Amino acid sequence: MERWALVSGLNGDADLYEQLQRDLKRQRGVAYLFVLGDLIGPDQDCNHLINRLQQPKPGDLQPHCIYGWWEDQLLASCGYRGEQRAQESRLEHGETFQRRLQQGVAAEHLPWLASLQYGFIELDCGLIHGSSVDVGDSLDESTSPLLLLDRLTRLDVNRLFTARSARQFRLELSGGQITSCVKDHSGEQSQEHVVPKRSVIGIGAGSEYCIYDPGSDHVSFQSASANSRHLKQGFA
Amino acid sequence: MTTTHAVISCLHANLAALEAVLEDIDQQGISTITCLGDLVGYGPQPNEVVQLVRERAIPTCQGCWDEDIIDGLNACECSYPSQLAEKRGHRAHHWTADQLTEENKAFLAGLPMTLRKDQLLFVHGSPNSQHEYLLPDMNAFAALERVETAGVETLFCGHTHQPYIRELSGGSIQVKVQARGTKTPREETMTLPMRRIVNAGSVGEPRHGNTKATYVVHDPISGDINIREVDYDVAKTCQAILDAGLPDVFAWRLRHGFEYAERAEDASHVCER
Repeated sequence: MERWALVSGLNGDADLYEQLQRDLKRQRGVAYLFVLGDLIGPDQDCNHLINRLQQPKPGDLQPHCIYGWWEDQLLASCGYRGEQRAQESRLEHGETFQRRLQQGVAAEHLPWLASLQYGFIELDCGLIHGSSVDVGDSLDESTSPLLLLDRLTRLDVNRLFTARSARQFRLELSGGQITSCVKDHSGEQSQEHVVPKRSVIGIGAGSEYCIYDPGSDHVSFQSASANSRHLKQGFA
Repeated sequence: MTTTHAVISCLHANLAALEAVLEDIDQQGISTITCLGDLVGYGPQPNEVVQLVRERAIPTCQGCWDEDIIDGLNACECSYPSQLAEKRGHRAHHWTADQLTEENKAFLAGLPMTLRKDQLLFVHGSPNSQHEYLLPDMNAFAALERVETAGVETLFCGHTHQPYIRELSGGSIQVKVQARGTKTPREETMTLPMRRIVNAGSVGEPRHGNTKATYVVHDPISGDINIREVDYDVAKTCQAILDAGLPDVFAWRLRHGFEYAERAEDASHVCER
């Protein structure tokens, strides 16, 4: 089966994207590239990268992009999320921060950024920048398993790929149960529920990314900078 | 003096039902009452019900109807089971908004989303939203997450109009964690605490299969929780609904204690957002 590459946190860095594309060409069987948000970032001219994501160079792996936290902040500050969100963004981050973001992205790119989806559902996998609750929801290997199970349940997926924490990890829910006893007018009913076998995968950010084989459920964590020094790290 | 307290929800502008429930509470010598919102909507006496709650100084959190009356149908309408149900809801919304005095609107606008007392949390829908339904058959782990994330032992909610007490116990989750650069996964077991979700049902628009108003009584010392049912003059409220020109179906629902929804139009029902 064709493998997926999942990247995030490019933060407007076109050179980093070039490095990732080169690295992906060296990987066998990678047919899909998912960019899980944070295409842009503050203090960067992001226009070159946005142009390339919209119009890939010949030989590029076609990127499938969703929006992330930085895009959400930019779009909120520009009124694409409604006046209330724009005001919240101003109060939370200040106008200087908003200007730093806005200066890095030409206005002509805003409609394209605004058209990006919150996430993808591919097979039984959810691909999201944060989580099923919020684009800013940061999940990592120390997050409560109960909360992770909730995030998986909300999407009804078996694997949730997330980028917000910038961590590379795989947390597998491998077992467990709970007893639920409900008392109402029809009487009392007790049921045992078991934890479904599901996973949350942190894909990393920047030069650190993830390759996933849906056929074997194998996750491999990569580093484009390390690979360029002929080093590889990964596990099943 | 008793330490037990009563929790009421979803009054829905039904004065006869509220008066009957308050009388039942008073007869038990209970002086502490908490209300989980939805004072208005569907029913014919929105001002009278808000006024009575204010007079009794009942601590109240804001329900989805209370929010919508103030903010103007800003909630997602997916919860309506059909387009016709949605149209009826809109009619009731506009009628209620026209009837409510500015003073009572200001009272509803000032209600808090949640009320907290020691290890108890009171909300209308869920700690996340006034619009989220915590149904009794909701995924048990997701239900526990709502209580645990709120940092309490017992969560009181309403919104579904179906009273229940749900105890989640004996839980655990096993995980295997692997971070980049480690060869062997770390295995851990999380023991889950026992938590309870208590749904107070509905005073003014019961949908649990009979017409009696429902609420709950909680004894914080013993932990006992009882669902109470109270008879009231259903016919009086039904007549007031018809007299007010509100949709007939609202009276039908009170007479039967069920949700009512047409099915024929459901296929094309779409969210307004």
